[in-house]
Amino acid sequence: MKDERHVITRRDFIRGTVGAAVGTSILGFDWSEAEAKAVRSSLVTVVRDKNAMDSSKNVDSAIVKKMLDQTLTGFTGKKNAKDAWLSLVKPDDTIGLVPTDHLNPTHDEVTDAVRSSLVDAGIPKKRIIMAQGDPSMPKKCTALIALPALKAHWLTGIGTVFKTYIMYSGSPDSYHEENSAKLGEIWNLPFVKGKTKLVLVDALYPLCDKGPQPDPRYKWAYNGLIAGTDPVAVETVSLQILNEKRKAMRGEPWPLSPPPLCVEAADKMYKLGTSQMKEIKIEHFGWKQDLLL
Amino acid sequence: MKLSLKTVFYLLTIIMTASISEGATAKMKAYKLDIPKTVGVWTRPDSPRLVDSTNIFKYMNGAGELYLAYGFNHINVYEYSADNQEIISVELYHMKTSDDAFGLLSLDWASDSAALNDSPADKTIAPSSRTLYGSGLLRIWSDNIYARVMAYRETPASKEAVLSLGRAIVANRSIPPEPELLNVLSHTIGSDWKLRKDRIGYFRSYLVLNSLYYVSHENILNLDISTEAVTAPYEKMSDTENRRRAQFLFVKYANPDLARQALEHFHKAYLPEHKQNFAASPMTESPNFFKLEDGWLGYKLHDKYIMLVFECPDQETAGIIIQSGLRSALFQK
Repeated sequence: MKDERHVITRRDFIRGTVGAAVGTSILGFDWSEAEAKAVRSSLVTVVRDKNAMDSSKNVDSAIVKKMLDQTLTGFTGKKNAKDAWLSLVKPDDTIGLVPTDHLNPTHDEVTDAVRSSLVDAGIPKKRIIMAQGDPSMPKKCTALIALPALKAHWLTGIGTVFKTYIMYSGSPDSYHEENSAKLGEIWNLPFVKGKTKLVLVDALYPLCDKGPQPDPRYKWAYNGLIAGTDPVAVETVSLQILNEKRKAMRGEPWPLSPPPLCVEAADKMYKLGTSQMKEIKIEHFGWKQDLLL
Repeated sequence: MKLSLKTVFYLLTIIMTASISEGATAKMKAYKLDIPKTVGVWTRPDSPRLVDSTNIFKYMNGAGELYLAYGFNHINVYEYSADNQEIISVELYHMKTSDDAFGLLSLDWASDSAALNDSPADKTIAPSSRTLYGSGLLRIWSDNIYARVMAYRETPASKEAVLSLGRAIVANRSIPPEPELLNVLSHTIGSDWKLRKDRIGYFRSYLVLNSLYYVSHENILNLDISTEAVTAPYEKMSDTENRRRAQFLFVKYANPDLARQALEHFHKAYLPEHKQNFAASPMTESPNFFKLEDGWLGYKLHDKYIMLVFECPDQETAGIIIQSGLRSALFQK
């Protein structure tokens, strides 16, 4: 009977063995090999400005542009946004911007700020395209900028970084419930792998409960941008912010349910980065109140 | 005139189709709701958008799974627009039963009552509010309709418009009781355990169960549209600092065989290291208990019912909660 497939349950999360359980039951992979790897390090920046939105939740484009500049220089260590971009992309790249349009859509102001900042850095307009959609979209690009908005999701727990490319799979329905653990594999498809030069999470007005439809009661003005080149580290920080907000809202632990499987799997199985908070260096700039980190 | 067998069959098919259509039309008429064409400065188009099981995923992507997990019929969607104002959307979910509509409301009680058609508080197990409002979103359970009325920007004017639409939706509609299955819950257990009414959830699907209380990413209790389930935590009143809690789950299957198969599946997946040893036992027979990582788990199979308690601090309390649920279930029969 020992050969029977392990079913992931609440007990795996209580015991802290969910990673191993996901590995053996869904992905057919022995987690223990990954555990022995050397300690890694990833940088994630969190830039906030309390005036990024007004009381009616209108976004101030000029402030977002400033926050983006701060993100780029803070993240790359370059002296200005232009140099920062040119350390991430090449002028002859075809750059795909990948916002999300569902549940808690990426603000247009964020996408526009990225586009104009790239143009200011010398990237020709015609080489910057909107690349959300089917698998043909990333095939047109040599570089991708992932622009998800921070949100929970009722079928996968979190629906931020790894869900951004779900349409690139050509079969989004295959990545729900327990199969959400496999979301990381999309990032390793031949026409996607290695193309993501920056993950920039729109955390201006996140959604901390799962939906499944937009629910203003669970949105709050975080007024932030979260960025990094390690998608797992960015998702891990995003997850921490959602969980802390949920706890603050109810005054008691209120874990995402179902718990997300994709984050640890993206680390251990798909080797896309680190899901260990101790391996993530968080650089914070700007507004400190209710940082949730 | 002699008619061939084929012709007779053909005519019969036409007559039957016509009478079925007539019945369906009559039913649709019963569903028709008069909601105002104009509310405040907002106006809607003449006809709603119709969403059913064939196009629900196009309308709301994966969120459609939630509605199909209950007895779902269709949605009427209206969008109210006005110059220089954000829209107000009205979604009327026509469910197969009032219980299904209640189930959708029960997924989240965390809003203030809009007090449009509440039940008397002493007659309900769940919160008595049938209309809940928060931050621009009004949610309604009105007979077999679950409604979401949402102002994309909350202002005093849009709030008034949303509530006004809510009043129109509930007007002259019957107010059936909450699902009978909720009677398996007790307001208190013994002198020390109290039901968290604001966490009661009624459902038929493991996806919904997982959004309320995570058990497994797989359907290990074999829940489907033919099952009915309710879950809620009981909290220890004398221990407010530590908030000790036990999660109760009661599932009613279509028949005893399905209940037994479901418990076998659950045991195998959730308690693989423990030997299965249960029977569809008489009421007096003790439930099965297991000491797990997060406390005691107890379960009992009786007839077509399964009762489970998770995270209980002690075996005795788990037993009391289960027996209380079972007694109530049998009393209803």
